[in-house]
Amino acid sequence: MQNNVANTVEPAAWSEIAPAQSEFRRVIRVFFGRKLAVVGFVLIAFLIITAIFAPWIAPYPPNDIDMNQTLAKPSAEHWLGTDNLGRDVLSRIIYGARTSLIIAFGATAMSVILGEVLGLIAAYFGGIVFQIIMRFIDALMAVPMLLIALIMASLLGGGVKNVILALGVGMVSVHARMMCAQALSVKQNDYILSARAMGMGDLRMMFQEIVPNAFPALVVVATVGLGAVILAEAGLSFLGVGVMPPYPAWGGMISDGYKYILSNPALALSPGVAIMLVVFGFNMMGDGLRDALDPRLRGIV
Amino acid sequence: MAVLLNVENLRTYFQTDRGLVKAVDGVSFYINEKEIIGLVGESGCGKSVSMLSVMQLISVPPGQIVSGSAIFDGQDLLQYKSKGEEMSSIRGAKIAMIFQEPMTSLNPVLTIGRQTTEMLELHLNMDSQTAKERAVELLNSVGIPEAESRLDSYPHQFSGGMRQRVMIAIALSCNPKILIADEPTTAVDVTTQAQLLELMQEIVNQYNTSLIIVTHNLGVVARYAQRIYVMYAGRIVESGLCEDIFLNPLHPYTIGLLKCVPQLGETKGDRELVPISGLPPNLINMPNNCAFLPRCSYHTEKCRLEPWPELHSTGEQHYVSCYVDTQETL
Repeated sequence: MQNNVANTVEPAAWSEIAPAQSEFRRVIRVFFGRKLAVVGFVLIAFLIITAIFAPWIAPYPPNDIDMNQTLAKPSAEHWLGTDNLGRDVLSRIIYGARTSLIIAFGATAMSVILGEVLGLIAAYFGGIVFQIIMRFIDALMAVPMLLIALIMASLLGGGVKNVILALGVGMVSVHARMMCAQALSVKQNDYILSARAMGMGDLRMMFQEIVPNAFPALVVVATVGLGAVILAEAGLSFLGVGVMPPYPAWGGMISDGYKYILSNPALALSPGVAIMLVVFGFNMMGDGLRDALDPRLRGIV
Repeated sequence: MAVLLNVENLRTYFQTDRGLVKAVDGVSFYINEKEIIGLVGESGCGKSVSMLSVMQLISVPPGQIVSGSAIFDGQDLLQYKSKGEEMSSIRGAKIAMIFQEPMTSLNPVLTIGRQTTEMLELHLNMDSQTAKERAVELLNSVGIPEAESRLDSYPHQFSGGMRQRVMIAIALSCNPKILIADEPTTAVDVTTQAQLLELMQEIVNQYNTSLIIVTHNLGVVARYAQRIYVMYAGRIVESGLCEDIFLNPLHPYTIGLLKCVPQLGETKGDRELVPISGLPPNLINMPNNCAFLPRCSYHTEKCRLEPWPELHSTGEQHYVSCYVDTQETL
């Protein structure tokens, strides 16, 4: 049965098919081809390494109070000086990386899972399901993310777990709307009709056909979201409802340090610079990933 | 020869803002085993919608299958729920459909291999190794060279003709009894057209699959189809054996279609190509009488007064829906 047809059917010409290459290698090649993406990657890699190896990298324990050395200027002993309780600023920044990362990934993971699934269900089933879910998301969107996070954090109290929860909820609407829009657009394509004509069921259709097509957008929004969460966390900590002292958190450090901005600028500026670099890193990585992962941009980038 | 699919009196209407569109208004056709039939008509005549209705792929608001039956394997397909188990197990496995645009019919983010094995795993419960081997067999059989290494390629690495071949391979993967090809060659060049049609012919012969070709191109069905149905404005206006339709067309529409197509062997000046005057009708608020009337050069008073004629037989398997005996008028 197999080869009889091939003998009589003229095989396709060679020139019709582009050469195959490993998908993974191609993604890596495209991603690292963009300078900014590489910069972003380096920054984030640096961040992750710092967070993991904090105990080995930091010169001092972050919470060690030394009342003899309060508000010291940057010196050989304390590269960024000390804060008002004599704690080494550099060490607190290094340990703060941990806090930021945990909260960033935790909150983003939560909002991605919740938001994407909601958006997908709404777009796929349409009708009343769509209306109910999207009106709920609209209501959520009407309140600024920071405000939602603030309210939740205030109600639940501070602390890392609650901050993750609060920020996760705050970001749900972004992901839900994005996924919904992507899924609605993907649904129009011929290959969805083809898949249904081949007898594919709902669940498979959603996760095998629609999600992979929405994936590039998802990656970009999630990566940029990571940066936004870090900023938001900084805001919460600054306002006192974020990570509870004495745990080091960049936002909290700014909050504590801005009073001394004229005498000891390093106290407030160094966490600020750290936040800036990390958010920049995530944004650049997000761009690079989108370009590398989107099959439709292949050959253009 | 056993009848595989028997569609009777299919009516599919669409409720739109501007009125009720009777896209398919009383279509009946059948297909036997190992047969190729052609469903011919211009854009908008309802041929694609008829096929989609049989497969229950019509979006239910605004569309609705108002009446009719589609008996396949002893069961009426139109009685099944469109999202139900039964319909899902028939689609792809027993009746497969391929569409016009090869560029968009394949999911751009999944590899060719994945899309082929998907079907096998879905309907035949194959494990991934067996499915991969079968996929390679299938791709080879539709003429894709070095199929094994092509499994990891993406659709955008293939040309239109190749993608259509892949679509055919996917459609055939579960050995369906009927393959519906909706304008399969419209989007490709003539050389590829010829290759694809030859491929489909081989498939009918080798795999015992029946083929329904939906097209607006008479040339495509002339060579390959055994029987032809001509559709106009949602109804079948003529049907019969291929030779009868081409050598002895009876309906003014069919006659008009053949008059405006050049034939091989004619030279310039032999015959004038006469297009059919007028435009296809708006399917909203159709008049009760014959829909072809405004464009017909054979019409009589009877055509204006009587409702759209029923199909009546004029000889061996040749049916026409017309009050005028066009043979006499010639």
